[in-house]
Amino acid sequence: MNLPLRKELRSPLRYADYSLGLVAILLAFIGVALNYSSTWRVLEFNGQDPATYAKRQILFVAIGILVMIGATFLDYRLYRDFANQAYLIVMLALVGVLFFGVERNGARAWYELPGLTFQLQPAEFAKVAVVIALAAFVANKDGNLRLVTLSNAFLMLAVPLGLIYLQPDLGTMLVFIAIGMGVLLVAGAQIKHIVITSLVGIVVVVGMFNSDNLGGPALLRETQEQRLTAFLDPTFDVQGASYNVNQSQIAIGAGGLRGQGWLQGTQTNLNLVPEQETDFIFTALGEEFGFIGISLLLLLYSYMLARMWFITRSSNDLFGTFACVGALSMFTFQIFQNIGMTMGIMPITGIPLPFLSHGGSSTVVAFGLIGLVINISARKHLA
Amino acid sequence: MNEQLNRRLAFLGILIIGLFAALFTRAWYLQVLTTDELSEKARSNYVEIVITEPTRGRILDRHGVVLADNIRSGVITVNQSRYAPGQIDFVLEQLSALIEVPVSTLKSRLDDQQTHPLAAKVVATGLDEYGLLRVSELSLPGVEAKWEMSRIYPQNEIGAHVVGYVGAMSQGQEDRLLQLGYLPSERVGKSGIEQIFEADLHGQPGRTELEVDSTGRVHRILSQTSATPGSDIYLSIDADLQAATESYLRQGLIAARKTVSDDSGFFYPAIGGAAVVMDLRNGDVLSMASHPTYDPNWLVGGITTLEYQSVFENPYAPGALNNRAVQGLYSPGSVFKLITALAGLEARLISPRAAFYDVGYFQIPDKYGCTGRCTFYNADKAPLGIVDLSSAITRSSDAYFYKVAHDLYWIRGDEQWAIQDMAELLGFGSQTGVQLPFEKSGRIGDGDIKEALFETNPDAYNPYGESTQWLPGDNINTGIGQGFVSVTAIQLANAYAAFANGGTLFSPNIVEKVVARSEDRFGSSVIDFDPRIQRIAEFPEGSGVVREGLHGVASKARRGTAWRAFEGYDSSGYAIAGKTGTAQAEGRNPVLQRKKEDSAVFVAWAPRHDPRYVVAVVMEEAGFGGEAAAPVARRILEALRAYEQRWPDPQVAFIPPQPECPEIPEALRGYDAFTSYVPEGCPWGIQVPRANNPEDVDGDGIPDLEERNQ
Repeated sequence: MNLPLRKELRSPLRYADYSLGLVAILLAFIGVALNYSSTWRVLEFNGQDPATYAKRQILFVAIGILVMIGATFLDYRLYRDFANQAYLIVMLALVGVLFFGVERNGARAWYELPGLTFQLQPAEFAKVAVVIALAAFVANKDGNLRLVTLSNAFLMLAVPLGLIYLQPDLGTMLVFIAIGMGVLLVAGAQIKHIVITSLVGIVVVVGMFNSDNLGGPALLRETQEQRLTAFLDPTFDVQGASYNVNQSQIAIGAGGLRGQGWLQGTQTNLNLVPEQETDFIFTALGEEFGFIGISLLLLLYSYMLARMWFITRSSNDLFGTFACVGALSMFTFQIFQNIGMTMGIMPITGIPLPFLSHGGSSTVVAFGLIGLVINISARKHLA
Repeated sequence: MNEQLNRRLAFLGILIIGLFAALFTRAWYLQVLTTDELSEKARSNYVEIVITEPTRGRILDRHGVVLADNIRSGVITVNQSRYAPGQIDFVLEQLSALIEVPVSTLKSRLDDQQTHPLAAKVVATGLDEYGLLRVSELSLPGVEAKWEMSRIYPQNEIGAHVVGYVGAMSQGQEDRLLQLGYLPSERVGKSGIEQIFEADLHGQPGRTELEVDSTGRVHRILSQTSATPGSDIYLSIDADLQAATESYLRQGLIAARKTVSDDSGFFYPAIGGAAVVMDLRNGDVLSMASHPTYDPNWLVGGITTLEYQSVFENPYAPGALNNRAVQGLYSPGSVFKLITALAGLEARLISPRAAFYDVGYFQIPDKYGCTGRCTFYNADKAPLGIVDLSSAITRSSDAYFYKVAHDLYWIRGDEQWAIQDMAELLGFGSQTGVQLPFEKSGRIGDGDIKEALFETNPDAYNPYGESTQWLPGDNINTGIGQGFVSVTAIQLANAYAAFANGGTLFSPNIVEKVVARSEDRFGSSVIDFDPRIQRIAEFPEGSGVVREGLHGVASKARRGTAWRAFEGYDSSGYAIAGKTGTAQAEGRNPVLQRKKEDSAVFVAWAPRHDPRYVVAVVMEEAGFGGEAAAPVARRILEALRAYEQRWPDPQVAFIPPQPECPEIPEALRGYDAFTSYVPEGCPWGIQVPRANNPEDVDGDGIPDLEERNQ
């Protein structure tokens, strides 16, 4: 029975890119190992279970894998129809978090879940919603981005940006901008429009940075301003704003070529790098596995992004292409920004490293997006 | 459309590759190129080093009397950098009320310039528990009340110059000491033994390396070495004898201040002096006194500027911190005639028994064509009549030695510098090597030294533009220890010791042993300081006559220069030999604004025929050697005899002394004038009455010495 089936009737499983899922799971387990190594010593010292964080991360990964599988099986083209609803719900959640959320590290960005030890970060889910909604919006216009369309697209971005600004969470805002720029660039926005918006964006950022100097209200919070200063001048306030920048680079540098071995890093063990299990998880890898470990991780990420790039290219569906570009932009920006900040080539912003950083929302969202991309890859032959 | 999409996707792909390349490059830079530097930073991040101060070693005398010790002492420190200017007054007032120290004193201690202005300053020491408690109850910011190990000198000023004192490290040595593991707050030896043996006394600080996390909590102990306490230093000093020496020197100086000088008509200023007692068999220093003196405890407990000035900048007792026994340079005066006599004998210029007519002065004969000063007078211009070498020494005939020195000058050849060579042979002009800091080497003038002095500082040395050549007059002055001769007290003691013991010149030892206090498996380690022989001198034929002349110094019958001082001295078994000296000091007394008075010098050894100890006394501007210095030496010698009875030396007990018995014709043996030359124990010498002679234990009339010889 070797009947040539019609393309549309072939099983999507035949085309699905399983390697992407496997790489994601592999990354997630590296993440669990690093979560353990960056927290066990202090937890043990405090008389707690040293694997507390690792166990929690395993739970998040398990949920993430389920979400990924779920996202793979339901035909992604259905999402297009619910894109606007999803967008609306998430925006409401972002509004709600400003009133009902809990504050952590100075940002009101989390919903407390009753009876559970972890919180929900709506901004993470907003990334998915914006990717889908923006892709759907642009796909609906057939990639014909006139100025009006472009303005509407910007408006779609501006709403979540504004809401997240109020939390505030500068890092996540930048992720949205990256998603928007990626999708709109690929979707065919005119270069001059992009250049002009970029210029306007730069002016706005500089204006915010100096708003208090120009006589207006201080739009950027002091910590954000200090972080930028610390990025430009690492000797600024060594025990304060520059502490993270310096300590994370010391940790990575101390790893050397081969690293100090799992659980052996002193910077990692002794809690010398703050926020190490979340935003600075990369320093644990750098110290304990050295340049070889970093190279392997970067190769895994490269493989993941390359696969996504090829899926983007091969998809016959514009919505699929743009959604994939959105996911690609998001991952690229998060990976580069996060690793770049730990190594001192980007300013510090609170952006998690996909699959590695401890955190429920970000892990689940990352897996969900990978599921979406696998979904697109499975149905790339369908128009 | 599709074309454009692909182009833009390609752009996106290239952008991603670029970003990843940047990440790789940065990781390479951090982990391969700068990894060493960053690893070092990582190490200093988590390793905390705790240094524990070692207990400083003690300083003890030869019999275990503690001269420097450590005690726990309550101190109060105030860190004024925590207060705005003026605010500190309130704190000081409260402190002052509690510890009953005036505010002004506390203030002056805060203004101490020796330590860093921002560092916490010690404002009070020696508090007890309750004092500390009351201060800590105030809980004033920047004020700390704590226990500290503090140096204490239990014997106060006894041996102060030898023991030395400790103080805060100076700016110059700070870097070096901190590298050796000292804590910035530690005190280091500033003078004396405390300074010279700093390395032994200090010990090794303990060092603990801890692994700490970002909040400073300790996770592990990486390594630990406990502190090794410093070694104990046992001096060759005996504390009792030292106390006696210091006390007699001080009393002698006080007595001199009540004596009127014949030269000026004023009281002698007698500003200071030095006394050294040495065991001439091995070069051990038994006591070493220097006046004016001080209590080293003053220097440890944070002395105020006013206190400091009153003791150490007193114009009437200058240089209290200096150890005059090794740092004070003096003209030896007639004491130096020993050298001249030996030099004359060495050059075969002196026939020891030849008569010389001392007319009260010496004139350079015309045939030599005298330039400059030609007539040299005895000290009091008194003619002594006929003398030979022996009586010239006993009676201190200047004219005799003027002639010797003058004749030596005209020997052209190696022996022209016979005096200088002999002085050098007996250790003058170079450091003796005793274990004390800042030792002076002194100088024995010769042509080169004179020329150098005249040329470098003509204002001081040659105001009238005299010839820089070495003239006969220079040699003549040198011959009686004046002019270009300067020596230290310890050099005098050492040279006489070498002459008395038959020619062994030691480097004096003031330290007997260094005992490490940390006991290992083999017990504590001891470093003994064995006698150090510098050289063994051979004295020329006829030096026995010199010895004979020195024997007479305390003899009334032989008109020795110190006979008055030794009148009534119990010489049985402890007879002395020695030499007085009265040295003219050059220049003016800067405080009194008049010519300096003569300095008194006296060197003696005892017992005469079994020499064991040598005593040297030098007193600045205190008068005649026989009148000022000899009585001090006499009392020190009496203390020495008591010391020997207290600590009998097993080595000494049965060494048969070998008296040199000169041949005296039978006919002359009854005459006092001749028998006084004969040492005790010789069959035809003066016989000490039987009852008083402890050396005749069996009472048969024959001294034990003689019995042993039979």
